[in-house]
Amino acid sequence: MIKITNLEKYYRTEEVETVALNKLSFEIKEGEFVAIMGPSGCGKSTLLNIVGLLDDADGGSFMFNGIEVAGFNERKRADLRKHNIGFVFQSFNLIDELTVFENVELPLIYTGVKAADRKTRVEEVLDKMQIMHRRNHYPQQLSGGQQQRVAVARAVVNKPKLILADEPTGNLDSSNGNEVMQLLTDLNEQGTTIIMVTHSEHDAKYSHRIIRMLDGQTVTENILV
Amino acid sequence: MFKNYLKTAFRNFSKNKVYSFINIAGLSMGLACAMLILLYTKDEVSYDRFLPGVNNIYRIVSKEVNPDGSIAMQSGNTGSFHGPAFASGVPEIVSFVRFQGDYVNIKKGTEVLGQEAHFVDSNFFSMMQFPLLHGDGKTALQQPDAVVLSETVARKFFGSADVVGKTLKLQRNGTFKPYTVTAVAKDCPQNSSIKFQMLTKMELRPDEISDRMNWFNFFLNTFVVLAPGADVKQVEKKMMRFYETDAKEMIKIVAEKYNFKAKSEYMLQPYTDIHLSKDYRADNGMVGASNPMYSYILSGIALFILLIACINFVNLTVARSLKRAKEIGVRKVVGSDRRQLIAQFLGESYIICFVAFVLGLGIAQLLLPFFNDLSNKALSLAYLFDLQLISGYAALFFVTGFLAGFYPALVLSGFNPVQTLYNRFRLAGKNYLQKSLVVLQFSLATLLIIATTVMYRQFHFLVSKDLGYNDKHVLTVPNISKNEIAVFRQELLKNPNVEQVAVRNNGFNGTLARVNGNKEIEFTMDWVDADYLPLYKIPVVQGRNFSRSFTSDTSSAVMVNEAFVKAAGWKEPVGQVVDFWYREKKYTVVGVVKDHHYAALSEVIKPQLLCNDENNFGLAVIRIKEGSAAAVLPYVEQVYKRLLPVQPYSYEFKDISNQRQYEAEAKWKKMLLFGAFLTIFISCIGLFGLSVLSAEKRLKEIGVRKVLGASVTTIVKALSKDFLQLVLVSLCIAIPVAWLLADKWLQNYPYRAALSWWLFAATGAGIVLLALLTVSYQAIRAALAKPVKSLRTE
Repeated sequence: MIKITNLEKYYRTEEVETVALNKLSFEIKEGEFVAIMGPSGCGKSTLLNIVGLLDDADGGSFMFNGIEVAGFNERKRADLRKHNIGFVFQSFNLIDELTVFENVELPLIYTGVKAADRKTRVEEVLDKMQIMHRRNHYPQQLSGGQQQRVAVARAVVNKPKLILADEPTGNLDSSNGNEVMQLLTDLNEQGTTIIMVTHSEHDAKYSHRIIRMLDGQTVTENILV
Repeated sequence: MFKNYLKTAFRNFSKNKVYSFINIAGLSMGLACAMLILLYTKDEVSYDRFLPGVNNIYRIVSKEVNPDGSIAMQSGNTGSFHGPAFASGVPEIVSFVRFQGDYVNIKKGTEVLGQEAHFVDSNFFSMMQFPLLHGDGKTALQQPDAVVLSETVARKFFGSADVVGKTLKLQRNGTFKPYTVTAVAKDCPQNSSIKFQMLTKMELRPDEISDRMNWFNFFLNTFVVLAPGADVKQVEKKMMRFYETDAKEMIKIVAEKYNFKAKSEYMLQPYTDIHLSKDYRADNGMVGASNPMYSYILSGIALFILLIACINFVNLTVARSLKRAKEIGVRKVVGSDRRQLIAQFLGESYIICFVAFVLGLGIAQLLLPFFNDLSNKALSLAYLFDLQLISGYAALFFVTGFLAGFYPALVLSGFNPVQTLYNRFRLAGKNYLQKSLVVLQFSLATLLIIATTVMYRQFHFLVSKDLGYNDKHVLTVPNISKNEIAVFRQELLKNPNVEQVAVRNNGFNGTLARVNGNKEIEFTMDWVDADYLPLYKIPVVQGRNFSRSFTSDTSSAVMVNEAFVKAAGWKEPVGQVVDFWYREKKYTVVGVVKDHHYAALSEVIKPQLLCNDENNFGLAVIRIKEGSAAAVLPYVEQVYKRLLPVQPYSYEFKDISNQRQYEAEAKWKKMLLFGAFLTIFISCIGLFGLSVLSAEKRLKEIGVRKVLGASVTTIVKALSKDFLQLVLVSLCIAIPVAWLLADKWLQNYPYRAALSWWLFAATGAGIVLLALLTVSYQAIRAALAKPVKSLRTE
């Protein structure tokens, strides 16, 4: 599904150039659950953002479902992203001005799903995430665990092929964290490919494979399953 | 999607009430001003266009060109002669109508009322198709004793508009004659240069039409209709050829007799050009002459206000964008592209703009009476039913929404989602745009405030300058001639509150005469009695005042002012001769009066000649005791009515009528004050909004500073400094510009208030103080907040 070859990314300020990704290569197959680990600043999040088409690489190749997407412009990236990729962030990133229902509905709006269909699909996924009773609440009225469940709901409502999770349990206590990990595992079992960046060895154990990174490169790969 | 945008927008607006208030308040005021100005401008350019066939109506105008090519005079006036003469000599002129303003006395029972009236040719309604309520325009003015009334006047005299066939007694040549009402017209529209109340047929003596000397007699308006398809330039050429042939002899005589060397040129002025014409103005019965400059100044002010409000929107939206950065990131992540975000934010700007627009309409409606008063108009928003104005307002809405919303939409939609979602987002750069916009705002506000102060000072100067005579507690009463003045004076002086009574001519006269043999001097000529100068306390600097002891004074003595002496170049003015050669009359100078401002202060003191000839007396001048007006006025009226029972009585206080000369200035100063107030208010609420956002943005910094021991004053200083610097930059830009503009404007006045540095310094200090108050409120609040609170939120 994803084939990355010699991927490069630099960050430049006026004085220094920092290498974030240094000729990184790996491949992820459809249906896999991969955890990416490594110390802070090793390039995990940068990698995730490039894979999620939120950021550009400075060199190398990135094939998504057999298509080279490295040179895509913003509109093409947005289009590919909204149909194929869901995101879960450590800090939830829900829109404060929208209710739970409206937050989850948002991706469907941008993919042009009709209002009636949207309602069914949002309710279905909220039900699955066991947060239906909170549908009319605003994010600030929810606990962290609930907020992350809403974020997961928003990530999956469009039935993406790939979910990118950036430290999804980082802001949660262990029981809420476990619940979210279980949700991701369930999704993976239903066929969704998952790439998760994490610091937590505990969370990484839910995955099939761990890619360990250091200084913008992969150092080891552990296959767990 | 649209619903989602709307929801987000409204929740954002209600969550950020200060921000929404600033934007909506500013924009609605700006839009209201722009709406009023649009209305004003539309009215200005629509003047007279309601008349059917108006594009074929012209006014005969003329100018006198000196041998050196300079223009001696431009005038919209003609005489009774020009219309018939040109119509007979130029075939393209299909018809002509003469139109002359006048004032008649009307007897209603035992009461005599003065009424504005116009004399016109009988075909008036065939050319000017003003709608009639009753009667037939074609025949209405056929008879010499016919009168056409406006609806208002009909109601004034008869209490009804349906009064065709009724009679009114009009005074003509001293006696009251019955006139029959033949038609009643709808009141003329507000955007009409002709606003007649009463029309009668023009009566002319045979010699007024036969005597070619009347080519040089100008006192009314002549309108002509040209044949369809006639070329105006060709018609003008034919008119000139006709004039030069027909008036040949007369041109020669006038040139010889009066040493008149200028050449007269006749032209046709489109009727629709009259209202805004600076060279050939609407007068002699035509009203509402306007200067396009007013439209420019008003539009400028409205544009300033709207621009400042839009700047608030841009600045606050961009400054506030940090708060919405996460939303933008999320929307991008879940699939929004940049165009959709631009549409969303532009849409929000249009929502704000729409609310402001609706409010603006309300504000404009509320301000309309005030605005009408200032602009001398009777505008109403009912003009809205006109497609042009609706499209004008729609354009205003779209342009404002775009102006305010496009740049923020472009900035916000360009945010990088990665940065916004990882809280790494900072607004890049030194924010030069925001700073420049604040500078622009305050420069405009400063400019308007200085303009207002300068105007106030000049106005104060005009109304308080020593005129060289005492115009306080002086009453003037017209229609007192030499026949009544002696008795009138005698009766009035019986009242202990009446101190002095004098008499002079009514109105102003300008003429010319020769001095020193052949030197011509143009001057103002006034006829006054011996009591006039003492009453006004105008000093005689050489020679003597007129005196009843010198019987020859009324026939051969004149007094002149110092400007006259200077123009004549006299060393010994008393005893000099002034030669009115065209009337074959010579006068001897008996005294010199000190220069005084007999005309408005918009004119320099020109040569003035006072004559004692009692035949021209017409205006009684009465000095009363201070504070006795209430007691004296009824007494004066009573004496007048006993003496002149068939004349309408009126009076004026001289100081008030002097002040009225500066009515235009008084109105403009109010208008500017209003504009200045709005610009500074909107600029300050914008600054306030920015200071709130800046304090929020620097919350952590403030907390850290406090923890490290900074005092409240240091923090307030740190927070206010940046904004005050911007205001200071604005002052540096605006003050020199304002100085130049004010100086240029003041050049229009020969007598003007000095532009002193302290005026600019005081204005500048005032603006700095205002800005300081605006930003320090928020700064003090932020500085007083407990640091633990701000640090914990991080």
